[in-house]
Amino acid sequence: MARNEALFEAVLKGKRKDVAALVQTAIDEGTNLESILMDSMVPAMAEIGDRFSRNEAYVPEMLIAARAMQAGLDLLDPLLQAAGHKAIGKVAIGTVKGDLHDIGKNLVAMMLKGAGFEVLDLGVDCDVEKYRDAVEKGAQAILLSALLTTTMPYMKTVVEGLKGSSAKILIGGAPVTQAYADEIGADGYSDDANTAVKATKVALGIAA
Amino acid sequence: MNLKLVSCEIFFREMEFLLEQSPHAIDVAFLQKGLHDIPADEMLKRIQARVDEASEGPYDAVLLGYGLCNNGLVGLRARTIPLVLPRAHDCITLFFGSRQRYQTYFDAHPGTYFKTTGWIERDAVAEELKQLSIPSRMGMDMTYEQLVEQYGEDNAEFLWEELCDTRRNYSRLAFIEMGVEPDNRFEKIAEQEARERNWVYEKTAGDLTLIRRLLNGDWDDEDFLVVPPGAAISADHSERIVRIRPDA
Repeated sequence: MARNEALFEAVLKGKRKDVAALVQTAIDEGTNLESILMDSMVPAMAEIGDRFSRNEAYVPEMLIAARAMQAGLDLLDPLLQAAGHKAIGKVAIGTVKGDLHDIGKNLVAMMLKGAGFEVLDLGVDCDVEKYRDAVEKGAQAILLSALLTTTMPYMKTVVEGLKGSSAKILIGGAPVTQAYADEIGADGYSDDANTAVKATKVALGIAA
Repeated sequence: MNLKLVSCEIFFREMEFLLEQSPHAIDVAFLQKGLHDIPADEMLKRIQARVDEASEGPYDAVLLGYGLCNNGLVGLRARTIPLVLPRAHDCITLFFGSRQRYQTYFDAHPGTYFKTTGWIERDAVAEELKQLSIPSRMGMDMTYEQLVEQYGEDNAEFLWEELCDTRRNYSRLAFIEMGVEPDNRFEKIAEQEARERNWVYEKTAGDLTLIRRLLNGDWDDEDFLVVPPGAAISADHSERIVRIRPDA
């Protein structure tokens, strides 16, 4: 199916009310539900992410696009579920124990949703148990965020605590580096919200 | 010894107070507060420049009035004289006097905002640093009015809550009393801020021990990292916080 240009633009520009109206119209017209999501909305989020990576868009633009996307998803999700649509993957994300920073974590969660993932948002101050619960609920990837060098070492505790589980672990946040990911044996690392989506797809073997 | 102290200005009153009592001759360079918010390589560049300058001078060692500070000291290299750095994540360790005490407090009260004389009278960030600062480049320091102008009323409200209200997860303000305050004016300001934000307020006693030991030359390996000429500082990701990276 072709892209709905108006819907693509509305998501890209963060026009929440326009997105809701356009999605409702598309639904009413009997447009294929999966096509609304995958041909127009997901590509718009990918585009804003790529613009961000090229320094052509900034965090506020990404946030409002993600919020507009969510307005569309609120309408689509129940219908998609009823129709048996499967998300491209199920992932969980949370800021580690002791750390209450959530701006970056929330942004990554929204970008993952925008890419078609089902996302369990575990919130902040998450201990190993919380991540383990998420794995038991079917999360294929666990994303850990830390914004302080004080709390970052807890990532190692989580990696060790989830050893033997099938879930991939990805880490990110201001003080986190690829070298640290390698050191603790994490499966992936990202330094921004756009590449976090890409790294998650790579870790799960999902085509970009 | 002849020493050079390169310190964040956040410790201004504590350093001035203790310098008077040090047995050593110490020259001082205070750097602007806020370097931890600019990219780590930018912070490193600025501190390395001061270290390099000091290495040309008549000193036996360079003392660093810093912690790991968001990895801003990772890669800092000792040139011709050693560097001395307290094993600390950030300034709060130095205010508490030990990283163990800070960790204990942090574990018990994760959402705490700390205030000291420095964090009150030197809280403003220089314009030049703001341009580079990561929060500001992310749009986190925009005012509500600016958000409305750029993104419209509906999105502005959302962005304000999601991006700019960076203190929303804090619930407690601790004023660390270091014994260098002239009177109770600073704690009053801190208490007032806690009240306005509806946070729990606490005054807790600081401890000058770690800073005093830095200035007095009492650098054991447990609490300090002494970096020999040619080596650099690296993050340790453990209770030791920092270690030496020997590569040239």
